[in-house]
Amino acid sequence: MSLLLNRTSLQSFKTPPLLLAAALLLAPLAGYAQSTPSGDRWLHVRVVSTDSKGETVCVNVPLELAEKVLPAINKNQLHGGKITIDKLDEEGVDLRAVLEAVRGSKDGEFVTVNGKDGEDVRVAKQGGFLLVHVTDASGHVAHHHHANKDSQEKDQDDKKSADRDHPSKAAVTANVSHVEVKIPMSVVDALLSGKKDELDLVAGLRMLSVQGDTELVSVKDEENTVRVWIDSKNTNGAVDGPGGGTR
Amino acid sequence: MILLAKVGLGIVGAVAVTGAYTFREGVMRVDVDEYRANGSHVHVWLPAAAIPMAMQLMPRRDMQKAFREGREFMPVARAVAHELGRFPDSVLVEVKDGDEHVTISTHHGAIRIDVSQPDEQVHVVCPLATIEDVTQELAEEHRGI
Repeated sequence: MSLLLNRTSLQSFKTPPLLLAAALLLAPLAGYAQSTPSGDRWLHVRVVSTDSKGETVCVNVPLELAEKVLPAINKNQLHGGKITIDKLDEEGVDLRAVLEAVRGSKDGEFVTVNGKDGEDVRVAKQGGFLLVHVTDASGHVAHHHHANKDSQEKDQDDKKSADRDHPSKAAVTANVSHVEVKIPMSVVDALLSGKKDELDLVAGLRMLSVQGDTELVSVKDEENTVRVWIDSKNTNGAVDGPGGGTR
Repeated sequence: MILLAKVGLGIVGAVAVTGAYTFREGVMRVDVDEYRANGSHVHVWLPAAAIPMAMQLMPRRDMQKAFREGREFMPVARAVAHELGRFPDSVLVEVKDGDEHVTISTHHGAIRIDVSQPDEQVHVVCPLATIEDVTQELAEEHRGI
């Protein structure tokens, strides 16, 4: 009897710490099971250098993370997830006024500049997107815009065309830099939803997160290729990005 | 004899709880290997749970200095650590430059920094919860001035 009592008291003595230990061990597993959100949108940045080493920089950021972290940054013109744009006014460009004007107008090309030095600028609104296309060429270079081809195909087309028609021009083509920016108008609206002198970056990111897979920025020049895009993947693979083509 | 057994079980229980708590909080790891003559090899494994406890023992003046120096980044680090824990394991930043390779990633609730060079390897792992705790601790210390 006394042995039985002793065994019982022994069991009750050792059970709570072991239960507590088991609970502590299993707690993080329960946490992980709940913390795998689906449908997250990721902002990707990829910079590929064309030098001999082929330096590559890839950044993958969940848009929701940027939304939550931006308000925590209070430095210079960035406060509470909003950026004051008075500095841009000082330089003679009222960015807000420009965006407001574009927002209120129909689809079309607003700005077309063909510079003497081969610098072409095109700003347009098309299919719910604000498009900015800049080509900067130090030499005489033809510029093509293929709406349904991806950037690499465009480059290959440009190069093949230059090589075939004007072999001596191929070297000049290498100095061309292309910048393409494509921003959904709903994001522009969200950016402008704050006070007159500020852009609401958090609202812009929130709106960006409901967009489909989109390439936002593409820069190609002789030294680097830069791409910024959003999709639902958390990787920055070589064949990732809207359209799935290698860029 | 029974008393001895109870004491023994108490110790075993305490060790089990401490061990479980340590593993739950994770381990902060710093590994540095230099592959050259007289290169150093540093391997530090520290229970993450011990870091906030150790901060309690730090001189208050040093804590306030640490807060002042990192004041701008503290809320950002805390927000990033808090939010990153909600996303699946991912490579956040990757830089490749010839033989050099740097990655910043999340893995099992920890942030991982891996630097690989031909003559040096550096690996740092820090649980996100620890970053949150440390920044929280520093902020509270600052409020208590």
